[in-house]
Amino acid sequence: MFKSQEMEINMGPQHPSTHGVLRLKLRLDGETVKYCYPVIGYLHRGIEKICENKAFFQGQVWTDRLDYCSAISNNLGWAEAVEKLFGITVPRRAQYLRTMLNELNRLNSHLVWLATHAMDIGALTVFLYCFRDREKILDIFEAFCGSRLTTTAMRIGGLLEDVPEGFDKMVKDALHAVRTGLVEYETLLSENRIWLKRTVGVAKLNADDCMAYGITGPMLRAAGIAYDIRKAHPYAAYGEMQFDVPTRPEADTYARYLVRLEEMRQSVRIIEQCLEGLPEGPVMAKIPKVLKSEVGEVYHPTEAPKGEIGFYLVSEKGGANPYRFHVRAPGFFNAQAIPLMVQDSLVADVIATIGTLDIVLGEIDR
Amino acid sequence: MPEMTLVQTLLIAFIQAILIIVFVFVAVPLTIFSERKVLGFVQQRLGSTRVAGRLGGITGLMNRGMWWMGKIPIVHYFRGLPGLVGDIFKLFIKEDVKPAKADRLVYLIAPAISMVAAMMVYAVVSFYPGVLFTIPSWVPIIGGLPVAGAMADVNVGILILLGIASVGVYGIVLGAWASNSKYPLLGGLRSAAQMVSYEVPLTLSLLVPVILAGSLSFGEMTRGVATGSSPWAIPSLVFGFFVYMTCGYAEVNRLPFDMPEAENELVAGFHTEYSGMRFGLFYLAEYINMSVVAAIASAFFFGGPWLLPFGLQSFVPEACWWIGQPHWYIYVAKIFFFLFVFIWVRGSWPRYRYDQIMAVAWKYLIPLALVNLVVAGLVRYFA
Repeated sequence: MFKSQEMEINMGPQHPSTHGVLRLKLRLDGETVKYCYPVIGYLHRGIEKICENKAFFQGQVWTDRLDYCSAISNNLGWAEAVEKLFGITVPRRAQYLRTMLNELNRLNSHLVWLATHAMDIGALTVFLYCFRDREKILDIFEAFCGSRLTTTAMRIGGLLEDVPEGFDKMVKDALHAVRTGLVEYETLLSENRIWLKRTVGVAKLNADDCMAYGITGPMLRAAGIAYDIRKAHPYAAYGEMQFDVPTRPEADTYARYLVRLEEMRQSVRIIEQCLEGLPEGPVMAKIPKVLKSEVGEVYHPTEAPKGEIGFYLVSEKGGANPYRFHVRAPGFFNAQAIPLMVQDSLVADVIATIGTLDIVLGEIDR
Repeated sequence: MPEMTLVQTLLIAFIQAILIIVFVFVAVPLTIFSERKVLGFVQQRLGSTRVAGRLGGITGLMNRGMWWMGKIPIVHYFRGLPGLVGDIFKLFIKEDVKPAKADRLVYLIAPAISMVAAMMVYAVVSFYPGVLFTIPSWVPIIGGLPVAGAMADVNVGILILLGIASVGVYGIVLGAWASNSKYPLLGGLRSAAQMVSYEVPLTLSLLVPVILAGSLSFGEMTRGVATGSSPWAIPSLVFGFFVYMTCGYAEVNRLPFDMPEAENELVAGFHTEYSGMRFGLFYLAEYINMSVVAAIASAFFFGGPWLLPFGLQSFVPEACWWIGQPHWYIYVAKIFFFLFVFIWVRGSWPRYRYDQIMAVAWKYLIPLALVNLVVAGLVRYFA
């Protein structure tokens, strides 16, 4: 008389909290997830192939569109990969400014992460607080390079221009806003019983699984492994900066929340050091108008807010554009772990999982 | 009270019904408006005039008008009102989409069930003990007759109230099921489990004022708790109030218990497939239910039309007639305060998970409400 069957349900690509166009095929037993199959590719634009047909300096525009919440990190990774390929040395002032912009971008990205993650769990107020503070950082980007989201902030060999007038004050204001904002978010969330119930022990992914899936960034650090490319293989001016790499042993959603908040504090620290020690000098190296490559290949990893973003370039003799181009996007590796993390959890935890992974479909689908 | 004919009784009831509808349809849009205002302040967001003032459309046009008038400080605060009018207007003119595979009849009447169940509860709510006002003698047929502060202050008022309130869940479950869609179905299942579970502790917590007042009539209970209860009953009343409010939030599906329509998980929950004014009816029903919960909380635990709750009313000196006596506006002010608390909570807390909500009800609230009931009974017996 009674029979039960599992229900198949499509979460996405049009769903309020799949962060864009991720699609999850879920098979539910009541509210319990029995099977999960992520489907990606709804945002595929063929960026890697497009870049193979663009000159080296044009490729950067496409890296903006990878992870659109942290365009500057992608710009930096691209610029440094090309500089490594051509053996260009960037002036010290440009290195410092790049570091500063990159860390501002990390704040920006983590603020978007906290905002959406908290909203997915129902804390709408945190969402708007984060966007209020993010606004100040976007204003800095706008003052520096004229656009807020798709920045194209770097140039091969340095930066296009020096910082505008009043840049110091804008940065200091933004840092103040972030620092006071962090206290507000922590007041609203860190000790909140409901937040703890929704995050502690949810979506666990231990260190072994992280390494098996190639997961990097805050996800790995929240599993207790202090691997940060800024420390491990310093680039830009990170070698001269004093900062800590926060880790937590718990490997759950709450640990990732704590790790990312602490990373934001460290970013503030790095930006302050950059502001204090900002050297004088040019911001652009002498490079030829048209870059003609020799045969070579280069892989350059940098620490994007979401994990290791690597640019792999292969060049041919006399080529004006890369022969082969590949992006190792952190979100792609993070998204792979979704089925493992949501197995036998509830629908509400799937949402928390997507939030804590901090995925942006722009870089997954490319 | 003079003897009334059937026609007179019906006319008086009609007038009371009109008054209640006026109250509800003033209170609900004001709640929606203040929800935006209060949430706007809590979340420090820019209002619609800053954002929509530059836009086209009816809302934009009206906002632009208010923006020009906005130099006047009094208008300043209420500049969001045109947006509210535009919002309600939009609900009316939207296309009424029906899914092809929906169960047509059930799909169409489900929002009405929600709405009617929410409105009917007000029949037993007593805004004022006794006569609210007397109709002037020059009015034909009903001249000189009193209009009571409650439409039907029957002696089993609380039973009617709980009975009608529990019908409200049918609107949600039937609407979800009739949509023949997966996300609404999940929302409907959640709401069926959640609302049925939370009715138990809710009723148990309402038994505390029943015991203390020794009556089931709405007006008698309010009077008994506000003026007659012993000071020893205060802990049990306060505790009962917290249990009641928690359950009330779950019953009307507000944060932190907004499982049936958890927008980040279930898109829009049970009303995903609804559009236009049918969605509007669900929306209105939610807000009317909020005001019902607020009305019951302020009546049974916070003294209703009396100024002070918990039997403290006898300490108010006689000279202060304007606060020493019950007044309907004291009651309405309390209702609005509790509506404000609803919004405040929404601005502060995240959402529980489905299984955690059920655990809260069955593991904590029901045992606590039972213990509280025993305490209240002991107070009633000894004090």
